[in-house]
Amino acid sequence: MSLDRPAVLALVRDRLADILEIEPSSIAEGASFTDDLDADSLALIELVEALEEEVGKHSPGFHIDDEDLQDLKTVRDAVDYVTAKL
Amino acid sequence: MTVQPLLPVAIDVLGGDHAPAAILDGARQAAAAGIPVLLVGRAADLEGHDLGGLELIDCSQVIEMDEDGARAVRTKKDSTLVRAAEAVRDGRASAFLSAGNTGATMASALLRMGRIKGVARPAIATPIPVPGSTPTVLLDAGANAECTAAFLVQFAQMGSVYARRRFGIDRPRVGLLSIGEEDGKGNLLAKETNELLRAGAAGPDVNFVGNVEGRDIMSADIDVVVTDGFTGNVVLKTLEGGMKFFAGKVFEALVATPEAKEAAKVLLPQLLPLAEALDPSTYGGAMLLGVDGVAIISHGSSNAIAILNAARVARDMAQDDLVGALRAAIASAPPVVAPAGESAG
Repeated sequence: MSLDRPAVLALVRDRLADILEIEPSSIAEGASFTDDLDADSLALIELVEALEEEVGKHSPGFHIDDEDLQDLKTVRDAVDYVTAKL
Repeated sequence: MTVQPLLPVAIDVLGGDHAPAAILDGARQAAAAGIPVLLVGRAADLEGHDLGGLELIDCSQVIEMDEDGARAVRTKKDSTLVRAAEAVRDGRASAFLSAGNTGATMASALLRMGRIKGVARPAIATPIPVPGSTPTVLLDAGANAECTAAFLVQFAQMGSVYARRRFGIDRPRVGLLSIGEEDGKGNLLAKETNELLRAGAAGPDVNFVGNVEGRDIMSADIDVVVTDGFTGNVVLKTLEGGMKFFAGKVFEALVATPEAKEAAKVLLPQLLPLAEALDPSTYGGAMLLGVDGVAIISHGSSNAIAILNAARVARDMAQDDLVGALRAAIASAPPVVAPAGESAG
């Protein structure tokens, strides 16, 4: 089964909630990782690794380039990025 | 019931200012003391060194001291630090320790071993020597520069468990580092944390005794001191630097004149045990609390004794199931309700 954008958003929310110990429903799509969610760089790397693992199950070889990380500032950025790479 | 033999402690032999010689020396001493040891290193860098017949996980990469920890863990998947953490994750080792890059040690532990369910942020717990008493556990000593009050409440929970398990303190006295003992003193973070801890947010197992000041850390009146990672690291380095400077000056004075040298014959037997008690190598290293396994961050300048002591602590904490105790404490703790205007994280 391939992932569509709503599924990617749900996945990002779910993993982020797990990492930050917050409710998935409290994570707005426009939320900034650092300003709104208090996610530090390590938490973001955790998210990246979790996404690579989960998305990789549907899209083998899926990888997030380290140089792209600095452009991913919000949940929406991450969802758009992952969706575009599928 | 069959007693399972303890899995070895994985030691990163290429981390630290004196690697690999001093680290290998410490590893061999640990093995000689009956602590099962698994070396993690790059064989090419260990040619000509005595491995003491210990098993080696051969890696192709090393994370340098000046590399960004999290990034390095992603790009150097076959590095000694990553492989050491994976050894714990995969059930080959009971714990791992490194005197290498602190950020990478933390990232390796977190990303490979995972975190204990419910832990918002792992913290570095460092024992601060208190001559004549049990050490004071300082946390966070540098893992999280930015903290919320909810994080600090959790540090109080984890620090209490650690002080109990590691130093046998039945009901550790927990203090919040601030700039005055009164509850209302300090910055916003200190005030909010104080409010939460006073209201019992950390649960009945945390014996919060109020705010403490920097001068209280090395006193026998407190067992655990909680602060954010930025402040904790500044405190730690200030204490280290201050003690090193003071000790250097004292020993310099003791050889400055013939009279002083005579006096030193009387004073040194009293001073040397004190110097030993204040030596960071005595306690082996800091423990990363909140990750799902035992991970020890040893001082970058660790000598063989420091590695031996760190291996001993790693073995003891694995054997004593520190992680299980932390898991139980976090699972049974009440959810933290942040004061108005503050995020629980």
